[in-house]
Amino acid sequence: MLFAKRKKTSEGAASQAARTGTSAPVGAETAQAEEQTSYEGDICVKGADLYYGDFQALKNISIDIPEKNITAFIGPSGCGKSTFLKCFNRMNDLVQGCKITGEFRIGDVDIYGNIDVNELRRNVGMVFQKPNPFPMSVYDNIAYGPRTFGIKKRAALDEIVERSLRQAAMWEELKDRLTKSALGLSGGQQQRLCIARALAVSPKVLLMDEPTSALDPISTGKIEDLCLELKQDVTVVMVTHNMQQAARISDKTAFFLLGDLIEYGDTDEIFDRPKNKKTEEYITGRFG
Amino acid sequence: MTKERVKEGANKALFATAAIICIVAVIAIFVFIIIKSIPALSKIGFFNFVFGDVWHPDGDDVYAEALAGQYGILTMIVGSIFSTVGALLIGGILGFFTAVFLARFCGPKVKKVFGSVINLLAGIPSVVYGFFGMVVLIPFFANFSSTGDGAGLLVTSLVLGIMILPTVVALSRTGMDAVPQELYEGARALGATHEQAVFRTVVPAAKSSIVASLILGVGRAIGETMAVIMIAGNSAEFPTGLFGSFRTMTANIVLEMGYAGEVQMGALLSTAVILLIFVAVINLLFGLVVAGGKKDKHGKKRMPGIPLPKWLKPAAIGKAISWVCAVLVAVFLAFIIGYIVIRGVPHITPDFLFREYHYGDDPAILSCIVSTLLLVVVSIVIAVPLGIATAIFLNEYTKRGSKFVRIIRSAIDILSGIPSIVYGLFGMLTFVVWFGGASSILAGGFTISIMLLPVVIRSTEESLKSVPDMFREGSFALGAGKVRTIFKVVLPAALPGIMSAVILAIGRVVSETAPLMYTMGSVIQPMPDGVMGSGATLAVALYRLAGEYKYMDQAYATAVVLLVIVLGLNLLAGLIGKRLGKKFQGEKNVVRKKKENK
Ligand SMILES: Nc1ncnc2c1ncn2[C@@H]1O[C@H](COP(=O)(O)OP(=O)(O)OP(=O)(O)O)[C@@H](O)[C@H]1O
Ligand SMILES: [Mg+2]
Repeated sequence: MLFAKRKKTSEGAASQAARTGTSAPVGAETAQAEEQTSYEGDICVKGADLYYGDFQALKNISIDIPEKNITAFIGPSGCGKSTFLKCFNRMNDLVQGCKITGEFRIGDVDIYGNIDVNELRRNVGMVFQKPNPFPMSVYDNIAYGPRTFGIKKRAALDEIVERSLRQAAMWEELKDRLTKSALGLSGGQQQRLCIARALAVSPKVLLMDEPTSALDPISTGKIEDLCLELKQDVTVVMVTHNMQQAARISDKTAFFLLGDLIEYGDTDEIFDRPKNKKTEEYITGRFG
Repeated sequence: MTKERVKEGANKALFATAAIICIVAVIAIFVFIIIKSIPALSKIGFFNFVFGDVWHPDGDDVYAEALAGQYGILTMIVGSIFSTVGALLIGGILGFFTAVFLARFCGPKVKKVFGSVINLLAGIPSVVYGFFGMVVLIPFFANFSSTGDGAGLLVTSLVLGIMILPTVVALSRTGMDAVPQELYEGARALGATHEQAVFRTVVPAAKSSIVASLILGVGRAIGETMAVIMIAGNSAEFPTGLFGSFRTMTANIVLEMGYAGEVQMGALLSTAVILLIFVAVINLLFGLVVAGGKKDKHGKKRMPGIPLPKWLKPAAIGKAISWVCAVLVAVFLAFIIGYIVIRGVPHITPDFLFREYHYGDDPAILSCIVSTLLLVVVSIVIAVPLGIATAIFLNEYTKRGSKFVRIIRSAIDILSGIPSIVYGLFGMLTFVVWFGGASSILAGGFTISIMLLPVVIRSTEESLKSVPDMFREGSFALGAGKVRTIFKVVLPAALPGIMSAVILAIGRVVSETAPLMYTMGSVIQPMPDGVMGSGATLAVALYRLAGEYKYMDQAYATAVVLLVIVLGLNLLAGLIGKRLGKKFQGEKNVVRKKKENK
């Protein structure tokens, strides 16, 4: 992981390209006057409401998510975890009739202000419940994001692909299969590939919506290890149905119920001394 | 950043423009035909036109003067209805039982092979069917005719019946395949035999698809032109009995459009209007049945069922009939293709294929092959980008179920229901005029492009829909815009489906005849002079050769060439289409796994 250097020209690409792994941010000076704002920092939400048509899916939610931590969203099915998660990269924009109010900040960016949504999504990556590698080669999957942002040179792309796969701890597994179709991989490999794909554009935040619910225990373990590794550089926000998983890897936990944020705090606190009775009932498995 | 936005906006505008062009095309055809028919209808009188039974046009009739000719098309309306009903009786019954056979009475191997063979038949050009009727059926049935002429209602119904078979089989079979297995098992659990369960449970459950398939077949039969003019006899008289010459509305148009005078042309346009009214009613019925079928599934409104005949009640007989029909169909198809191939292959000589033709020579088809190729290029260049762009607009940019989309969709549906001869009439009076007044490959290409649009749009949409949304989401989540997502992820994934649609469209261009006769050229000519030149396609050449008894061998040979090309294209399309399904199999496994975990 010693080569995050990219002689990238196009303004935006370079500023983010430099931030990766343990490498030194070579070329960071290119992030000049053009973009003053930065997605680096905590995530702050104040008074968020979200409607799907007439149905209110999120009710007055305020939360501070610290950077470079793992934050878990838990709660019974349909309580709005995924909906809330998708607010952070504005995937809800794609849903018809979805209205969002309230303040959302990532770092010092007002993400519902006048910003470039694609730029936001480059900084806030997402991993879905179902692994969704594109029907193309492993290499092209990972290069998809960088290419989107104008990186065309083969050498630069080669570096990014290797760096991302190493970050996702799959370089050794996949280095000989880069040109093979990504759909031929196992489910667990596909999901880790999707993580690597998200990392290829060096996001500041990584959103994960039940990333392991479709996977076997061994793959799940690998992804959990990966998250613990990643949080040194990236803010991870993860939705999970798996209480043990939340307890094992997250620093903070937020419990949602029917669109309300019931309780939020340090994971140890939530699991050992929940303040709210509903939280206690949920984590002890009495409903959900 | 703003550059990106401009690019997105420009692309969206481009896709929307394509969709709008499609609507405009539909409106243009209708408005044109209707407006042009009004003077004739008012001169002749609507009532006289529809209920008059003498068709005796005078080419010199003009609107300004009193009419010398007589313009009543009742004989043809009756002719169209009778031949369509005949086709429905033959093709409907054969098709229904063959579908039952395929759905429930045969093993998976037979199902696959026989099923795809029947699908393949949908691609056989109508001139080939007409040709077969002309050279085999008419002489055969002449033995039974009191006048010694075998042409007429019986042969027409038979040929049309075979032509609508693939349509009927495909749709009813899909309907029966979709009947939930629990229904069937429920019947078995009550002690019904396999046959009883099929005929009393599965068939009634699929009745809306079956009825819809029959209606679709009717639409195809009433719009058929070329096959009919080769076997119906074409005199403007009522069909009397099984034999005896008669004429359909479509035949009326194509027979006289090449030389019609002012009022006569108006009368032909009016014939097209009446034909369109029939088609509109059929489309409406189809829509109602399909909608009724959908409600049916939700347990609300029930469709009036097709009551099974009493004699069918012993379901074992039903099974026997299914077998007989399936075997009949198989034998018939094998016979049609086999007969033509055996008669034609010996005459496919290098001389026939590659000699350059000059007027007065024995026919040779190199110029026809070249004309066909040029026509394919022109029409694909026009229809494919326009069709794909429209499909992208419909599937990727619009809110599902919005009003605008519904309008475009119904425009496309209407477009696909219009009989091909109506396109021919439209093309002759617009494109031919625009492009210098003489038939040209370009005019033919424009005409046929409009016909291809619905085919391309529909199948492209199907393939776009088969691309899972999670690919789109994945791309958006990586910060890609809409245009990039469409061009880099969605279209490549949909490519096999789109390619097979394009190949099918090429097959369609190669098989069409009626819309090309008077837009592109109706006789075999020397090498065409580029796309502005005129020329006959292979299908048109077959029609011509079949009409000149001197060149029967060449006609057979042309039919074989045509069959090989069209069936080859259909086969190829099927093979490529299958790859689309395989493409997402990796993803399907994951879905299944997830379900098990939960
Ligand atoms: N596109 C949509 N349109 C309308 N309602 C929606 C939409 N997406 C989600 N909802 C509704 O919003 C609520 C929250 O859904 P969401 O998917 O966020 O729940 P979740 O907590 O992620 O549940 P799960 O654990 O099952 O994934 C649910 O009641 C759901 O039905
Ligand atoms: Mg969810």
